[in-house]
Amino acid sequence: MSQANNSRFPAWSPKALLRNRAFLTVAIVILVWIVAGFAKPGFGSYGHLRYLLELAAVIGLVAIGQTYVVIAGGIDLSVGAIVTVSAVGVPLVALSGDGGGAFAVLIILAAATSIGFLNGLGVAYLRIHPMIMTLAMATFLQGVLILIAGGTAISAQNPLLAWLGNARIIGIPAGVLLWAVVSGAALAVLHATPFGARLYALGANPLASALSGINVQATTMAVYAVSGLTAGLAGVLILGMNGQGYVGIGDPYLLASIAAVVLGGTSILGGSGSYAGTIPGAILLVTITALITVVNASAGWRSILFGSLILLLLLLSGRESQRR
Amino acid sequence: MSSLTRTGDDRLYWRAQGERNRGLMGLFAVVAAFLALYAYLFPGLLSVAGVSKFAQSWLPLALVAMAQAILMLTGGISLAIGATVSLGAVIAATTMSGYFGVAGGIVAVSASGLAIGALCGVIAIRLRLPAIIVTLAASFIIGGLALLILPRPGGAIPGWFSDLLAGNTPAALGLVFLVALLWKLYLATPLGLSLYAAGENPVGAYRAGVPVDAARIAAYAISGLLSTLAGLFIAAQTGSGDPVIGQAFTLNSIAAAVLGGVGFLGGRGTMRGAIAGSLLLSVMINVMFFLGFPPVAQYVAQGLIIIGAVALPQLTARFRRRP
Amino acid sequence: MTPQAIIKANGLSKSFFGNPVLQNVSIALEPGRIHALLGENGAGKSTLINLLSGALAPDGGEIEIDGRSHRRLTPSEARRAGIAVVQQELSLTSDLSIAENIGLGAYPRRFGLIDYKALARKAREVCDLVGLEENLSTPVGDLPLGRRQMVEIAKALFRKPRILVLDEPTSSLSAHEAQTLTRLLQRLRQEGTAILYISHRLNEVMRLCEHVTVLKDGKVTADRSLQGVDAAGLVRLMVGRDPGDLFPHWTPSPERQTIVEVAGFSSGLLRDIDLDIKRGEILGLGGLVGQGQEDLLLGLYGALPASARRAVFNNVAGLPSSVSRANALGLAYVPADRKREGLHLIHSIAWNMMLPDFGKARGLSRRDPAAERKLATELADRLSIKGDLTRQVQALSGGNQQKVALAKWMPADPPILLLNDPTRGVDVETKREIYVLLRRFAAQGKAIVLSSSDTPELVHLCDRVAVMREGGIAALLEREQISEEAIVAAAMGAEAAKVAA
Repeated sequence: MSQANNSRFPAWSPKALLRNRAFLTVAIVILVWIVAGFAKPGFGSYGHLRYLLELAAVIGLVAIGQTYVVIAGGIDLSVGAIVTVSAVGVPLVALSGDGGGAFAVLIILAAATSIGFLNGLGVAYLRIHPMIMTLAMATFLQGVLILIAGGTAISAQNPLLAWLGNARIIGIPAGVLLWAVVSGAALAVLHATPFGARLYALGANPLASALSGINVQATTMAVYAVSGLTAGLAGVLILGMNGQGYVGIGDPYLLASIAAVVLGGTSILGGSGSYAGTIPGAILLVTITALITVVNASAGWRSILFGSLILLLLLLSGRESQRR
Repeated sequence: MSSLTRTGDDRLYWRAQGERNRGLMGLFAVVAAFLALYAYLFPGLLSVAGVSKFAQSWLPLALVAMAQAILMLTGGISLAIGATVSLGAVIAATTMSGYFGVAGGIVAVSASGLAIGALCGVIAIRLRLPAIIVTLAASFIIGGLALLILPRPGGAIPGWFSDLLAGNTPAALGLVFLVALLWKLYLATPLGLSLYAAGENPVGAYRAGVPVDAARIAAYAISGLLSTLAGLFIAAQTGSGDPVIGQAFTLNSIAAAVLGGVGFLGGRGTMRGAIAGSLLLSVMINVMFFLGFPPVAQYVAQGLIIIGAVALPQLTARFRRRP
Repeated sequence: MTPQAIIKANGLSKSFFGNPVLQNVSIALEPGRIHALLGENGAGKSTLINLLSGALAPDGGEIEIDGRSHRRLTPSEARRAGIAVVQQELSLTSDLSIAENIGLGAYPRRFGLIDYKALARKAREVCDLVGLEENLSTPVGDLPLGRRQMVEIAKALFRKPRILVLDEPTSSLSAHEAQTLTRLLQRLRQEGTAILYISHRLNEVMRLCEHVTVLKDGKVTADRSLQGVDAAGLVRLMVGRDPGDLFPHWTPSPERQTIVEVAGFSSGLLRDIDLDIKRGEILGLGGLVGQGQEDLLLGLYGALPASARRAVFNNVAGLPSSVSRANALGLAYVPADRKREGLHLIHSIAWNMMLPDFGKARGLSRRDPAAERKLATELADRLSIKGDLTRQVQALSGGNQQKVALAKWMPADPPILLLNDPTRGVDVETKREIYVLLRRFAAQGKAIVLSSSDTPELVHLCDRVAVMREGGIAALLEREQISEEAIVAAAMGAEAAKVAA
């Protein structure tokens, strides 16, 4: 039996590993870290790498939902606004009797998930193009946020958040641990459950998925809800790390999440890729940003290098072109 | 022998144009209503100074709406509009006070817009890469270029030029008409009109002998040109260049085009719709300001209006299909 | 005097992904002659047209235009040589006006701009020819399908072609429009245009054409004058193949219980259909393409809004409201366009086989990779799909792809199988395997609904055949009544029926 299986399911060969985008992105990250560590004293120190991971954790959390949505053939342009909702929202719902602060966090996470769910509702039932739906949602949220919170920064007095932002567990920042745990769950759902398989089905061929008995609408709504949830989670983490939230705090994470997804080898056309690539993608993103700061490049060069890198990686994965 | 005797054949161009207005009457009515409301709230609008001021706040948005719409007509999209606007602004602010003067600056701004747009187009179309990612990457590169040219707000626009464009003259309104006229001219060329066919039915267009790729790349180039020109105008308005001033325009350009009825899948929509969409957005912002809404309420309204504008036809179609 | 052929194809061959679609096909089009190209679906007609118009490059053979031979014809060369094609699928832009569509790619110019006066004049000329009375400024999106087809024909005429190819031009035309077209073609013939005419309507072909080329499985089976051939003869030319031992021996199944029953069923094109489907039978759906066969299958499957006065599926009353409900009731559907509707081409063979289970299982339950591999291996063995199951489905041949599309339903063991043209574009060997499989299913007591554009398939496999015509069942043939002639006759309607009878 196992003999027969082997010819049907060949074992992983080193060659296949070299074609694996997640592995390649990890390799690039390690390479960059080694080179930078030698070239620039201090870059490779544990403290600095830990700092990079903390930054990557926020992007990585937002990118979980973005990866899910992109694999399922959509795109979520509202994640930046949802991050802000959560970072500004938690201090606002601080309730008396909520000593630990967990209750406020849960309420905000539920709100973030509902926003994502509404995005899904618009895409699945009103058949609004994902880009329009999520863009409109982002615009709407931006307005609501300023109306409610105004232009000033709001400080959070929330013990849970303070712990999340500052605690170290055996030297590892709590935020990075949170990212690791949630990433594990996200990967498991994506690769080891029927729901994850449905995302790949939807992104590759929605019509064939529907005719195979997959509930396309329910899956669409669920995937945008997940995106809302992880963006909300990222907002909570930022708030913990920053101590205060303000309108616009989440804006940089929209493009960063898309860039992390693309750097990790997930096809923007949907149907293929993995969060396993997005994780090193997010780390690569903050590493490059940091590196360009370290080598004293100006903001302009930083941006140009960054854009060129995305373009280069896109060109290297010629597979995209064959898909059309 | 019956040729040309049928009524209206000799006025084909104008009648075809008229047909394209049909689906837009609702939008035009809404725009007119908002304009009337605005004029009622702010009678000062109905003066040279009022019109000038309003047109100056509208022009950049109109330009980027057109820049986005032309790409959407071909089935593409650009996330680099905002960065290109910034680049246009800094190039204008650094060249116009230099040796070649205002004329040289205009040439530099236009040439860079055309070149950057065409380059994006070639990469996206020729290499068959998804436009959304190519332009996302391009937005970083273009934004970086703007920062290299002018790391922080600065530069200068000659005072007389600022006064000419953004002073107490309705020059901005004239520019909107001029650009719209040039667009009509372009759409009357074979390459221009091919945009629609290349966007909606590329295979059929190719079989009919339409240079599909050329039409699409030209669209990217024109889009880049319109974006940098919007930057030039903003620089003239503020008297200097700011390397990040354009950021908000990426999303606003999509919003205006969508409000104007331009579809995401290519071949659907009109430029006059996109211009009307940008006008609606501009007037809305002004009206809400005068009604005493906090300036940010426009975002709430904008989001709701976009969803409504797209979902309404879907809902009515579904309702009608029911027996 | 025999006129010289304007365009001649010699020994053209073309394969897609290793499956031969055309083999050594030759055809010659002469000025002033209407040449019919006949053949069943998948016989290679469209491929031949695409080769003649330069849209595809042949693998072998050459195309000769005015005596000059081309190995590879580009679309622009073909256009310059005066070849115009009216494709089956329309190539119009709905936001542009009639005139702007007609002139597309060949606009008259003045100072670099489109000369709208000249465009109006020329477009009106060709519109007069095809009887388009509409305003030239009307957007094409506003026109009904038949009028759009006329615009498409006008667009071809606009370029003053010497060679006009029409691919089923009358399929969406009204009788009046079809008459206009007939008159037009006769006039073009007099003016010396070479015309290649593809149609499933034999009476039309008989009336219009002088010469016929018949394609069968990518080969020319007849190339002759139409003189002395009647409609029945044409039918024989098209379907006339020795069925050989392609089909398994037909034996009636013992089980004959009704498993699906619908009355007053409407869906898409279909209006008010009564139908019952029995266990142990293969019920064939025949007829010309697009007469409602697909709507029937999709309506039963819950994938298309449907209504019925009475419906019983597997002892449960009511129509399935969704695909997952239909799956739960024991229905499975294998679509005709497997690339677009049946398979996830970028995913692996094994993954595709698991898909219905992914839809059915609890979303956040754990997948069992070992069990999935075991099942995939079993399915692959059962359907003799060879090799590595982690390959992407798009790497497979059409036949093997079809097997994967079938295999994915087998774990659920559905008692009702809805198959939409499952052997289209499939090689002979796989066809035979699929036939054997279907008869075996019937013997096991499953109910199978087989829509097919391949008439011999219906004759040799089915227990009953419902011939569809214009959204209704034109004839329900019992086993002893089934013959190719009877099916074709019912599909074509009364006129041809008399001829065949």
